[in-house]
Amino acid sequence: MAAAEMAADGLDRELFACARGDALALKRIFDREAGRLTAVAERIVKRRDLAEEVVQEAFINIWTKAHQYSPDRGSARGWIHAIVRNRALNLLRDGRREDLVDAERLDAMREADQMDHVLSAFAALDRDSRLRACLDTLEETRRRGILMAYVGGYSHGEIAGRLRLPLGTAKSWIRRGLAALRECMA
Amino acid sequence: MTFEDIHAIADDYVLGLLERSDELAVEAEMARNGDLARAVAAARDRFLPLDMTAMPVPVSSTLWQRIETRLQETPAGAGDTAGEINTRMDPDRPPQASPRAANDNAASRWRRAAFGGLAASLLMAAGLAFTLTRTVEPLVVAVLVDEAGAVQAVVEDFGSDRAVVRLLDDLKVPADRTMQVWTLPSREMGPVSLGLLDQARSTRLAPPALPRPQDAQLYEITLEPAGGSPTGRPTGPILAKGFAKLPR
Repeated sequence: MAAAEMAADGLDRELFACARGDALALKRIFDREAGRLTAVAERIVKRRDLAEEVVQEAFINIWTKAHQYSPDRGSARGWIHAIVRNRALNLLRDGRREDLVDAERLDAMREADQMDHVLSAFAALDRDSRLRACLDTLEETRRRGILMAYVGGYSHGEIAGRLRLPLGTAKSWIRRGLAALRECMA
Repeated sequence: MTFEDIHAIADDYVLGLLERSDELAVEAEMARNGDLARAVAAARDRFLPLDMTAMPVPVSSTLWQRIETRLQETPAGAGDTAGEINTRMDPDRPPQASPRAANDNAASRWRRAAFGGLAASLLMAAGLAFTLTRTVEPLVVAVLVDEAGAVQAVVEDFGSDRAVVRLLDDLKVPADRTMQVWTLPSREMGPVSLGLLDQARSTRLAPPALPRPQDAQLYEITLEPAGGSPTGRPTGPILAKGFAKLPR
């Protein structure tokens, strides 16, 4: 994300205000960002009601942890999104254990939908963006594995299954894909 | 887990590809390993454009209310460790004497603000304490913030009748007033004056003999009539306050 864009979104100032106990700042973040954050969470947990639950808990965390945010640790937006993403991934992990059978059935039903989400995120990336250009240089399967993990919250095992690869192969493809991506974006 | 290729670990962490136990290990390591923390931040920002492709969806009208309800259930300053810290400096003073303290919300806002300020400023305070004394370490350092959470002063208490106040902002003092520094060694003892401050100057104080300063001990600066509080207890408005930390 461009530095100018990072500074211009003002989210860092809102986080500093939250750290000072300004509850209105939290509300302003909510008003601006809750819609997108819910959409980001929904890509991972696959259900709107669960996504809202994730966002609800994430805002409690944003409020109580705002004093930990520091600009030398990346953008305020990245920090906020990380809180939402972590909560979504944890919910997914907990759910996986609880109702595996049900989840598998639902997974099968939603499979096509989910892959659409993952691929559309890539297609919607700004054509001029660095990330887009660098993802473009990756071999198709590697790119897909990385997108499935980041956008859809898939685990190594799930990615291997969907891409019909042995687990070890999927892991090493993703690892190499990520290394190539880092190098390209450096 | 080992942290050799921190960039690969950071990517796996941001993509959610780690086992929960490794994830917790990364979070613990990030707290002390700045390189790893920076690598994670860089990875987050690298993939963030993918999140930005998510079209915002309408959320339930009750979602914000649910968050507000949860926030009210969350104790003010959820990071608080000391339960006593919102003790007012003078328990005898009626609440009306200070409009700030008359309102519980304001009190918890302050408490939260003080913590935010403290967290952000402790490193700086430790640095100051070091350069100021060189050979002798203060027993505790307190960063004092105003109601808005802005750092105003640092108190370094060396025990044995010696304390140093460094003013870090221009505190406005009317001509007929003086700033007085207080601490609360214990509830039983009540607030004790550490001394008066010259107009907006950092000062070495010679407080009376007091118990050894403790972690989380309250320090504050009030505005008092020239010559100091007539009652021996704080009577004027609080300019800044904060809680002591033991230098590590």
